[in-house]
Amino acid sequence: MKKVLIVEDDSFLQGLEAGKLKKEGYEVITASSGEEAMKKITEPDIAIILLDLILPNYDGFEILKKIKENETTKNIPVIVFSNLSEEKDVKKSQEMGATDFMVKSNFTLEELVDRISKIVK
Amino acid sequence: MEEEIKKLKEEIEQLKRINENKSDIISITAHQLRTSLSALKWIFKMFIDEDIGQLTTEQSSFIQKAYNSNERMLALVNDLLTLSHAEDASMSYNFKKVDLLYLIEQVLFDFSGETNKKEIELLFLKPEIPLPQLKCDESMIRVVIQNLIENAIKYSSKGGKVFVSLKQKDADIMISVHDTGIGIKDEDKESIFKKFYRAPNAQEKDAVGSGLGLFTTKNIVEKHKGKIWFENAQGGGTTFFVSLPIDQKI
Repeated sequence: MKKVLIVEDDSFLQGLEAGKLKKEGYEVITASSGEEAMKKITEPDIAIILLDLILPNYDGFEILKKIKENETTKNIPVIVFSNLSEEKDVKKSQEMGATDFMVKSNFTLEELVDRISKIVK
Repeated sequence: MEEEIKKLKEEIEQLKRINENKSDIISITAHQLRTSLSALKWIFKMFIDEDIGQLTTEQSSFIQKAYNSNERMLALVNDLLTLSHAEDASMSYNFKKVDLLYLIEQVLFDFSGETNKKEIELLFLKPEIPLPQLKCDESMIRVVIQNLIENAIKYSSKGGKVFVSLKQKDADIMISVHDTGIGIKDEDKESIFKKFYRAPNAQEKDAVGSGLGLFTTKNIVEKHKGKIWFENAQGGGTTFFVSLPIDQKI
């Protein structure tokens, strides 16, 4: 079972994302703040990280930086999953090593699962 | 004289700050709106897919309407963001030399999923001779090409064809997007580029649309000192033309 870390501070959205992924056969762990995410990224066997950008404590970019700096986590694919869509945010995510950038409101949860399954297959 | 220049400079700085504040407010508001609209989108979709149980025909029809209505709101937020960026960025458009052939190929690639879904053939008629690079804001011209192709696909029926062409005409570069879709009626010709205007046959064909796409497109083209117009094709469909001066003095 592939393990997904969802970093999302909106509990309602987090619940919907987690519910869908569990239903599709993924193991899900969650973090609701930047601080919690910083701790959870080093958990073993994470197959992919779904990362929101606007978060309490640390923002998504700081977490992405930490993921890519750490030898044990740097190869974990990261999908930035945010409702920000400015070109500067997309560019920054790419430059920092994110695998993909998805604007939440432009995708259904099926499309999200589809994207994840293609990356972790 | 020096005093006046100083005053003007201060005013420009102040305008820039106001502009930045306005952009920030729009960006934050759009983010918050999208968060709520995402939740609604996902919930409605769960009902439509009957993940939470079977629906009666009437319930299903209402939920589908709610989903479409939500999609309209999302399209509006997206278009408002693009428009805000197009208008605000006019003070700082980033003009540099761009290879339009490569840019169009990239945009066409992004549409491949959608054309497959609707079984629409999207063809690129490349220029016969190499074209000079165009001095423009790449991200804004990308929006122009995207909007025109998106409309062409949106208002075409399954099995339709969309032709994108690129060529040089005198001192201009000309992009055209031709479709075999529903066309633009004579009574709508005057209004098609107006803010929030949607032609009745367009509304009928596609419920999602804000009426900001062509307004934004025209806005961007004019910021590049270019022109945009359209012609109804014989036998149905429409061709949109954009001409952009190669030698920009901006």
